[in-house]
Amino acid sequence: MADFLSTYGSLIVSMILAAMLGLSLYLPLMSGQLSLAGAGFYALGGYIAAILSTKVFTTYSGDLYPVSYVLIEMIVAGIAAGALAVIVGILALRLRGVYLALATIAFVEILRVLSLNIDITGGAIGIFGVPQPFGTPIEYLWIALPMLLLSMLFVYRLERVRTGRALIAIREDELAAESIGINPTYHKVLAFMLSAILAGCVGALSAHVLNTWNARQGTFDAAIGHLAFVLVGGSRTFAGPVVGGLALTLLPEALRQLAGINGLPPWLAQFLREGRLILYGLLIVLGAINFPQGLITPAMFKHHRAAKDPTT
Amino acid sequence: MDATLLLQQILNGLAIGSVFALFALGYTLVFSILRVINFSHAAVFTLGAYFTYALTGGAFGFNGLLANAQLPFGLPFPVALVLGNILAGLTAMGIERLAFKPLRARGADPLLALVSSLGVAVVIVNLIQYLVGAELYTFPAETYGALPPAVNFGTAEHPVQVRTTQLIMFVVSLVVLIALTLFINRTKIGTALRAVAEDETTARLLGIDTDKLILLTFFLSGFLGGIAGTLVGASVSISGPYFGIAFGLKGLAVIILGGLGSIPGAVVGGLAIGLAESFVPGQYVAYKEAVAFAFLFIALLIRPQGLLGRAVIRKV
Repeated sequence: MADFLSTYGSLIVSMILAAMLGLSLYLPLMSGQLSLAGAGFYALGGYIAAILSTKVFTTYSGDLYPVSYVLIEMIVAGIAAGALAVIVGILALRLRGVYLALATIAFVEILRVLSLNIDITGGAIGIFGVPQPFGTPIEYLWIALPMLLLSMLFVYRLERVRTGRALIAIREDELAAESIGINPTYHKVLAFMLSAILAGCVGALSAHVLNTWNARQGTFDAAIGHLAFVLVGGSRTFAGPVVGGLALTLLPEALRQLAGINGLPPWLAQFLREGRLILYGLLIVLGAINFPQGLITPAMFKHHRAAKDPTT
Repeated sequence: MDATLLLQQILNGLAIGSVFALFALGYTLVFSILRVINFSHAAVFTLGAYFTYALTGGAFGFNGLLANAQLPFGLPFPVALVLGNILAGLTAMGIERLAFKPLRARGADPLLALVSSLGVAVVIVNLIQYLVGAELYTFPAETYGALPPAVNFGTAEHPVQVRTTQLIMFVVSLVVLIALTLFINRTKIGTALRAVAEDETTARLLGIDTDKLILLTFFLSGFLGGIAGTLVGASVSISGPYFGIAFGLKGLAVIILGGLGSIPGAVVGGLAIGLAESFVPGQYVAYKEAVAFAFLFIALLIRPQGLLGRAVIRKV
């Protein structure tokens, strides 16, 4: 067990971080808004943590960086991302569908080019040597796991309270929602802000997990990766993005492990090792085609109720 | 800024802008018919450049499964450009069948086509890497035969040098754009394409084989994207399997700027972004990449339907 944890520690932690990034994209999607801005807020959070921990909080006793400082960085990152999200959201959320998705990609790209060119973010090289609060990667679970459970609980509850139901009403029919007194702009910006706060906090933690932070973290590819988490996992219930994030982060690693099985023909083993991303892409295509609802659908949780439903 | 420098920058901007336009038209064609964005387009752009490179007799490096592979013959560049990008077009047709048609048949959410085409892009990029490695490939210097490396448009005292590759970029793009416009506006198939773009159901009721036209659209889109990729590859170099991805994003900026689904819009958007980039002052050249997106962000806020797009009236 100890062996397993030390070998796969960073994989397990990155799976959990991915699950939260999936949740972050799911929040605006609850109100039907496809925003890919999460990658930008994720990058922003990472830079805030990397800068604070290497330039501001440089004096501490002991070898390990204090966990409390990490938590402070996460709070700062969350507030900064949330504040920026309100500004960007008010401007951008007038757009719909594909236009919104592409405007948010533009936002991510602008942030990326900025971070490549200003001094404080270290340019193309980025920021190295982000201090470690733990001795081994697996110990990051002390922060990541409660954070995931809390954010899952939060979204689970959100789906069942007035605000969340308003978001879902906007997703189903914005005009109808508006006509019964739901303020679409307020709710969309709120969801956008919550999503940014989560992405910013995850970014701050990721900077420590990865030990380094650079402009490659917040790219279009990252944004699309987060979208794949949600759409492969399922976009109609909070469990979908979590499962999608866990599964899609595990997949390339699992394919590599498969290559190590004894008795495989050499060409197959070589393909699994070097061509595993080809299979990853293929599985995304097949997943989208064969599971258009995603792996997890709300119907899965409703079997016992469906039997009693008098309308069917 | 003196006049010759200004002229030079305009010519540079038009050259790169026309390639943006060509590439963006590939997105536009598919979007106008299917109302989805084909994210594999950037990968086809890359693929077209690799196909043409191989057909001109270019050798591959020592990495990957096809290490040191080289065709036993080398075609002249114009022939390789057409043949290689017919291959790119055929690939795009294959992508339609694999990643778009099954979703359409189910009437699935258009967002899923975005994901499945993205999966295809991941497959193509990594397949290229698996087969021929991640090296940078440059078209041989004699690609354009005996043409001089640059042409002087000014006088001997005030030279306005334009690289031949850029002229070729501009001329080829222009020819393809005119041919495409004529094809869409003047032929029967072109009219049918416009009918499908207007209303697929009605077009089908009128006896138009929409399925075949969708395939044709993908072929054209792949062909255009591949040519754009080849022109950029021949002008600079093919920088590896991810060659097209950065370009792909810029193509998206172009089509949004011009208005989704609008063919003149894609051309205007492409030229506008090409010109805007070429006027970024030297000391801010690092910010050049952000110009297209800053433009896009502002344009979307002012005119959400794009420069030449039609405002969509939302029906209740």
